[in-house]
Amino acid sequence: MRRLPQGVVAALLVLPSGGYLALFFGLPLLLAFLGSFGLYARGGDGGFTLRHYADLFGTQAYRDGLVFSTYLAIVPTLVSLAISLPLAMGLAQTFPGRKLFNALYKVPLVVPGIVAAFIVMTLFDRGGLAARLLTPIGIDLPKIVRDDWAVGVIIATAWKAVPFMTLIIGGSLGAIQKDIILAARTLGATPLTAFWRIQIPLALPGITAAFLLTFIGGMGAFAVPNLLGPVYPLPLSVHMYVNAFERNNWGLVAAMGTMLSLISVLVLLAYYRTTRSLRTAYGGEVR
Amino acid sequence: MSQITLTGIAKAYGTSVAIAPMDLTVADGEFLTLLGPSGCGKTTLMRMIAGITLPDQGAIRINGRDMAALPPEKRNVGLVFQSYALFPHMTVAANVGFGLKMRGIARDAAAERVRAALALVDLEPLAARYPRELSGGQQQRVALARAIVIEPDVLLLDEPLSNLDAKLREHLREDLRNLQQRLRVTAIYVTHDQAEAMALADRIIVMDKGRIVEEGAPVDLYRAPQTRFAAEFLGQTNVVAVTAAGLLPWNTGVAGPADGMVSIRPEDIAVTPALDGAGRVLSLTFLGPAVEYRIDIGGTVLRARDSGTGTAILPQGTQVDLTLRVPPHPLQGVA
Repeated sequence: MRRLPQGVVAALLVLPSGGYLALFFGLPLLLAFLGSFGLYARGGDGGFTLRHYADLFGTQAYRDGLVFSTYLAIVPTLVSLAISLPLAMGLAQTFPGRKLFNALYKVPLVVPGIVAAFIVMTLFDRGGLAARLLTPIGIDLPKIVRDDWAVGVIIATAWKAVPFMTLIIGGSLGAIQKDIILAARTLGATPLTAFWRIQIPLALPGITAAFLLTFIGGMGAFAVPNLLGPVYPLPLSVHMYVNAFERNNWGLVAAMGTMLSLISVLVLLAYYRTTRSLRTAYGGEVR
Repeated sequence: MSQITLTGIAKAYGTSVAIAPMDLTVADGEFLTLLGPSGCGKTTLMRMIAGITLPDQGAIRINGRDMAALPPEKRNVGLVFQSYALFPHMTVAANVGFGLKMRGIARDAAAERVRAALALVDLEPLAARYPRELSGGQQQRVALARAIVIEPDVLLLDEPLSNLDAKLREHLREDLRNLQQRLRVTAIYVTHDQAEAMALADRIIVMDKGRIVEEGAPVDLYRAPQTRFAAEFLGQTNVVAVTAAGLLPWNTGVAGPADGMVSIRPEDIAVTPALDGAGRVLSLTFLGPAVEYRIDIGGTVLRARDSGTGTAILPQGTQVDLTLRVPPHPLQGVA
């Protein structure tokens, strides 16, 4: 029997996983990308055009939407990270009621985002539970729902993201050998120094994963900002919905989607760059 | 000058006693070995000196200074872990330099001390490598360099050689001893390996169940142990009863304390073939430099070891005579 050339064998071996990725991830992305230039777009191929991008960047509401989408990805993620990191550290300690707390903090994981949004709304909206409780004692709650800084969106997103990030970060902190931290201590590191110089760098893969997954979720968030966000600006996701289903402008939708993906990729690259230079700085590598 | 004094130190985990109240003094420049089976409390004792584990009671003093209120980072001890515990995200040089950085030593001075410490353990060329790129023996030496570069008052070593193969272990054992003597640093070494303990220590503390069973210089402890536990833990031995009639298996009037036990090392028993001998070779093991026999004599089985050179190896079933090269060594208060 004639043997197949090695290259063909390799291609056949890669086909099941590679083919799957190409078919279900690569192709749609490629179509969206081409569609943003008017090629193979839904609703007719009008030939190559930059019209959709001109439309996107020429319209104030869309420009603001792009910035707002990025804001809704970055800020809730940073807020969640700031809460998750100490929380994950705390959960690694033993304290009374740890088991119960360990189960309770994960509850938001199983609550859908839209439900979380409604919880925040019933709690913090004008006339909501918090206002009714606080007004009698003279505390006037600031506007949190549909406010300009999207505090409500940040709260709802963080409420969902904190347990998720804590779980991932806690896992990577827990994987660090205890002796390594003790070694740092005997060498003169305070618990805080050991945390910054040993635990954080070693848990960085987990922190990175948690950060990026939350960030990308925030970038495309639709339901939560739609419910709790300000009237203006609207995130790009909402503009995409309107343009797709109310205006049948699929080319513009594709351009917006491409921009959101592009920003996600840029943030990802920036993040990898930062963490790599952090590792170099911590590791004492000479370049 | 670094003298360590433990007074009335004790530790329990729940109801199980890790360390029963004990006193211990380690002299300046001494190489002390804590020897015992796993779970005997030797590691706990060392971790208490390092400040990683806190004692329930008692005082630890290094050079007269009470350590009770000092966290590990303030004690100036160098600790080498069994797992080495190198920082995986740091190069060898950064690992070794970590303690100096924590002490705020200027960059240039620190780099010079790191270089010197790496030279001491023959690892200078590997300074830019990461721990994962090193062999076990090299990692062990990095851990050692990292512990000594800070010029600790006391060097604590927790079974540092146990993850290495036999040949390397022997080699590093020698290096370690030379290094300690050159630096004149007080060292406490934890091990369950009696050969390692004897090769390294000025003084061995034999521990069992959280207590000090016996202590002494290696030669004294090996040749004249006071307790059955120490006699059996340091190498092999035959513990034999003495009665009014004499040493039991022989049932002759060999001198010995009546109603007690004696320890006879296998190498102190000479085996000679004799047709009317009282003993019979049950089995033998060829060990290269020696032959070990299990010999039945009057219903008691004794181990005897013969140097392998020049002598014929006696086959199983040979009738033999046993003679003692040194008088049997009495053990105190054991049944």
